[in-house]
Amino acid sequence: MNAAISLPRVIGLARWNAVLLTRNTLTMLYGVVMPLAPLAFLFTGDRGDRGAGAAAIVFTVSVAVLFPVYYNLLSQFVTRRDELVLKRLRTGEIRDVELLAAMALPGVVVAVAVAVVAVPFALALGQSAPLNPVLYLVSVVATSALFVAFAFWTAAWTRNAEAAQMTSLPVIMLAVAGQMVAVFPESAQRWVELTPGAAMTGLVRSSWFGLEGSGTERTLDLADTWAAAGRPMLVLLAWTGLAVWLAARSMQWEPRT
Amino acid sequence: MSTHETPAIGVSGLRRSYGTGAHAFEAVRGVDLDVPAGTITALLGTNGAGKTSTLEVIEGLATASAGTVRVLGLDPVADRDEVRRHTGVLLQRSGFSGDLTVHETLRMWRATVTSPRSADESLAMLRLTDRADVPVRALSGGEQRRLDLACTLMGHPDVVLLDEPTTGLDPESRRDVWRLVRGLRDEGTTVLLTTHYLDEAEALADRLEIMHAGRIVRSGTPAEIAAGHPSTISFATLPELPWLPHLDARRVVEERGVTTIETDDLQGVLTDLLIRAARHGVRLEGLEARTASLESVFLAIADQPQSRHETEGALR
Repeated sequence: MNAAISLPRVIGLARWNAVLLTRNTLTMLYGVVMPLAPLAFLFTGDRGDRGAGAAAIVFTVSVAVLFPVYYNLLSQFVTRRDELVLKRLRTGEIRDVELLAAMALPGVVVAVAVAVVAVPFALALGQSAPLNPVLYLVSVVATSALFVAFAFWTAAWTRNAEAAQMTSLPVIMLAVAGQMVAVFPESAQRWVELTPGAAMTGLVRSSWFGLEGSGTERTLDLADTWAAAGRPMLVLLAWTGLAVWLAARSMQWEPRT
Repeated sequence: MSTHETPAIGVSGLRRSYGTGAHAFEAVRGVDLDVPAGTITALLGTNGAGKTSTLEVIEGLATASAGTVRVLGLDPVADRDEVRRHTGVLLQRSGFSGDLTVHETLRMWRATVTSPRSADESLAMLRLTDRADVPVRALSGGEQRRLDLACTLMGHPDVVLLDEPTTGLDPESRRDVWRLVRGLRDEGTTVLLTTHYLDEAEALADRLEIMHAGRIVRSGTPAEIAAGHPSTISFATLPELPWLPHLDARRVVEERGVTTIETDDLQGVLTDLLIRAARHGVRLEGLEARTASLESVFLAIADQPQSRHETEGALR
């Protein structure tokens, strides 16, 4: 259990998971097409309006981590677990971590690709270029990693693929609530800010748009964006730690009876 | 990797339990088993005897509650990577994504194997070449099983573990699998398989291990297992045969209108029986004489009651 994971095995298997993602119309729809849809929100509001732009990009990133990453992975895991595909693969050379990474990879690649495609799209519609593109991408990857762990944990107590429609709701709420910090009463806001959705929102708003809190005017410069990222990054890491721990202790490889 | 002195698979004192407390159930209760390199060994038993539970520990998919397992001298859990590189596993039930074709599935499996056969070679080996472009979803049960076997054998394994390889196959596919398994042994591969088919065990195995209620109760070649077991003579029970006790029988049982004589000397006792019957003008309806066979031994074992804590449903 100590040797490094085999990258060729992960990529080799991930490739076929990607093929499978495109074979089924439904998974193709929420795995690939749906995450691109929120970019349409960039057409709303005044051309180049920073607040509207930030809202559209935050929404785009959240759909990208919720559908191709979280929901797709959850339903793939449950379906393949129930069809004994996972059990079969686990008899071979591939290690569990590699198997999980290979399942998560296509969705994460889609999420990152959507986040990247959003840049030229936003530029064409009069938005400014990301202030700190590295931090922006790191934020998308970190958020994806968290939702990967959430997916494996949710799968552990999801009875079958249909049940995933219900069992995915708590995590989806956790992601969505954080984007609406402003609508909560002030006393609740500091708690809502500790949700993964709020952390992701803060990171995207500061790294791309230089926005602080719920402001709509650029107040941060490049150096400030790194400093502003500290707290939400810690929130994401803490959630990831929790989700990985929960997933690891409840991992269920065979159909639930 | 292995010599003839060290068995390819060595199991000793293996125990495995499911559940805890009042619901605990011990499926494997102290199994000792050596599989010599380059041979075929069959674990034979009724459903619920503990065959799959034993095999899963050897495969490294489950942990034992006691005992040790060595595959090619290595621990299947601690030395997982090394063991997996040299073993091929066929599960009793398993699945593949229905949306990939046969050829794609083999290529996918290939991506996980260190030194794999080509997908085309695997197709040819399992006579799947003309089904290469068919989605797995559209395969028959027998074809899916052959695809499964192709994956098992893709990495040129030294040790092959097959859990009920032919259950659910049509007779022709079964013969195919038998031919394949014999071919593996002839190339020096060690095979451990489970089955509840007696003919399969007799046709394939160099050595049999009969399991019952979590233990191995008989081991040896089919002939060795049958030896020492009584032959039987049976006929429709007649109201009065005062000379019956004079026969050199181990035991005489009357059950549901059939009298069964168990004996170690089939020819002698049968001759005696027929002479006495002729002398007394008795007609023996439904007369049958059988040498002890694997079947009779197996059925005798399977008829033994399991302890009252056991339930069939707790096991696969």
